[in-house]
Amino acid sequence: MRRVLLRDPVFWMCLLFFGTLLILSFANSVFRDGQVDQIQNLYSKDGTFIATSPLEPSAERWLGTDRSGNDLFQVMIEGAKWTIGICVSIAFARIALALLIGIPLAFRKKRLYTVLRLLLDGFLIIPISLIALFVLLPAFQFIDPAQIPSTLSRVFLEISVLTLLGLPALVLYFIGETRQLLAQEFMLVARTLGGRPDYQFRIHIWPHLLPTLTIVFMQQFVQTLMVLIHLSLFGLFFGGTLVLFEGNAAPTIFEWASQFGYYFFQFTAVSWINHLFLVPAIALALLVFFANLLTSRLERAYRLRRQQISSSTPSLAEAEAATAHLSHPFDPVDISIKS
Amino acid sequence: MSSFIIRKTIQLVFAFLVLVGISALPGLIVQMRPDFPGYFKMVQQQLGLLTTSAPLTYYNVTASEKRPLMPDLQPFIQETLVIFTSALICSSVVALLYAFLFYRTGSKTRSILTQSARLLEMIPDLFWIIVSQSIIVFLFKTTGFNKIEIAGGFADSIRFLPILTLSLTTVFFFIKWLTGRIQEEQSASYLELARAKGIHSSRLFWQQLMPNLFYRFYLFFRTNTITIMSSLVVIEYAFNVQGLFRFILINQDFSVLLVLLLLIYVPFFILDTVAELCIPRSWKGEIS
Repeated sequence: MRRVLLRDPVFWMCLLFFGTLLILSFANSVFRDGQVDQIQNLYSKDGTFIATSPLEPSAERWLGTDRSGNDLFQVMIEGAKWTIGICVSIAFARIALALLIGIPLAFRKKRLYTVLRLLLDGFLIIPISLIALFVLLPAFQFIDPAQIPSTLSRVFLEISVLTLLGLPALVLYFIGETRQLLAQEFMLVARTLGGRPDYQFRIHIWPHLLPTLTIVFMQQFVQTLMVLIHLSLFGLFFGGTLVLFEGNAAPTIFEWASQFGYYFFQFTAVSWINHLFLVPAIALALLVFFANLLTSRLERAYRLRRQQISSSTPSLAEAEAATAHLSHPFDPVDISIKS
Repeated sequence: MSSFIIRKTIQLVFAFLVLVGISALPGLIVQMRPDFPGYFKMVQQQLGLLTTSAPLTYYNVTASEKRPLMPDLQPFIQETLVIFTSALICSSVVALLYAFLFYRTGSKTRSILTQSARLLEMIPDLFWIIVSQSIIVFLFKTTGFNKIEIAGGFADSIRFLPILTLSLTTVFFFIKWLTGRIQEEQSASYLELARAKGIHSSRLFWQQLMPNLFYRFYLFFRTNTITIMSSLVVIEYAFNVQGLFRFILINQDFSVLLVLLLLIYVPFFILDTVAELCIPRSWKGEIS
């Protein structure tokens, strides 16, 4: 699988996209202290007033500015590490916890799996964004900017809740996947030879599970991003919502999904499609697109690997035919691999 | 049969308890901290709602008063049901026709079909919503055509665009699964035998392949219901559909949440039971 991916230009293009965004975003934090330039009014060299924010995209400000005068290009660069970081953290935490819970349970009897499926069935049809909204909204709406808790505590709590809400489905998936592997012949042999569960997992299950994990990781990444977008549309921005006068609300972090929700309210209320709304929308569309593209390349590499494995395993008829044609019975059997 | 009834009853009771637990989750976090005593109090309150004989009430935000839930909720349930089932029927029919086309075409056309379906599948639901609204507005601005609503109101129901966008979200989902399974099954021995007997490819598809995929398709649909439901939530919100999810987003009440969870779960539970009972064993891959 690794060899296929290393030769895949599309896979490298996706990695380049994510890598560039992260490098630029972290560089902005390190070299510019995470600052975003603000331009309220635009004046010519002789001091004549030209325009006020939101400014249209131009050669000086590539993506224009928002109503508060924030340079949208810098907003997007500053927010990239948050959006990608949150989705990566949640996807990683979900997978790690699901493995920790699911793998030991997979080694137990089938009845336990049936009971767990019975218990968690309710979780499998309820939209996560709806439950997350109900759980988080009362705690994450702030009226006084001075009363907002620290960023770390807000981020930690929100990541924890979003991780836990997506956990039941993933636990069930890993139990099912591991149980399927445990039913394979090679696992029966490993058990007969006396391999302990932790040994069986380390040596036999893990190498088979790893390619699936990378695909599941990207799926969780996209799913988390979609939940963040949905929540921001419902008025719950990542890291909390600052309630302003006349029912308006603003995000506390320059995170992409939150910016999208923030500008979406302005877009519906004030004007038809404008750059304020289009910039985060296109940025998110690209992020989802590249994440999905990466997932599809991983799936392709995994599929090719499985095809290689199945085509290199000789059938009984092939083995018999090969043995019948041996000039010397102790020569190694040479079976040509099917293309 | 009796063991089936017992198993299903236990499943229903467990599911009800879990749903009560989920509906009480909003009481878990108070002022940025987990509040477990508050959560258990909320669970008790929700259980009380389930066991009481009195009609359920909710706080109506628009009217600023407590109102009985049931007659108020009925039109919203109806609207959601119409959009969900219509979209599901549309996407299933389109996906089946696409799969038939895919089955009958050669490898070159197949490759083009697969690539384009894969590309379109990567587009998230929200962007279908925005694109469809933009096209309608563009159409209105250029031609004056105003027969299609881009957002609903309290008295006006909007159906066309929500059904279209939900269908678009789900159809690529279905297509991906169906085409993948067709490629897998194509070299199966029962199809080889049928082909050798001279059965026409369209008969082969509808009478041999489809019954074998039907139950697996149903299971695939069930495991991905959560994604379809999530899309429906955001579609109802964005198009201002007077549906169940929009209702709960406006009236964020514990009793409404509990009823919503039950309203989603119970039909699927019934559907599962019917599928388990009615789908022939041979279609499930068992020996009849």
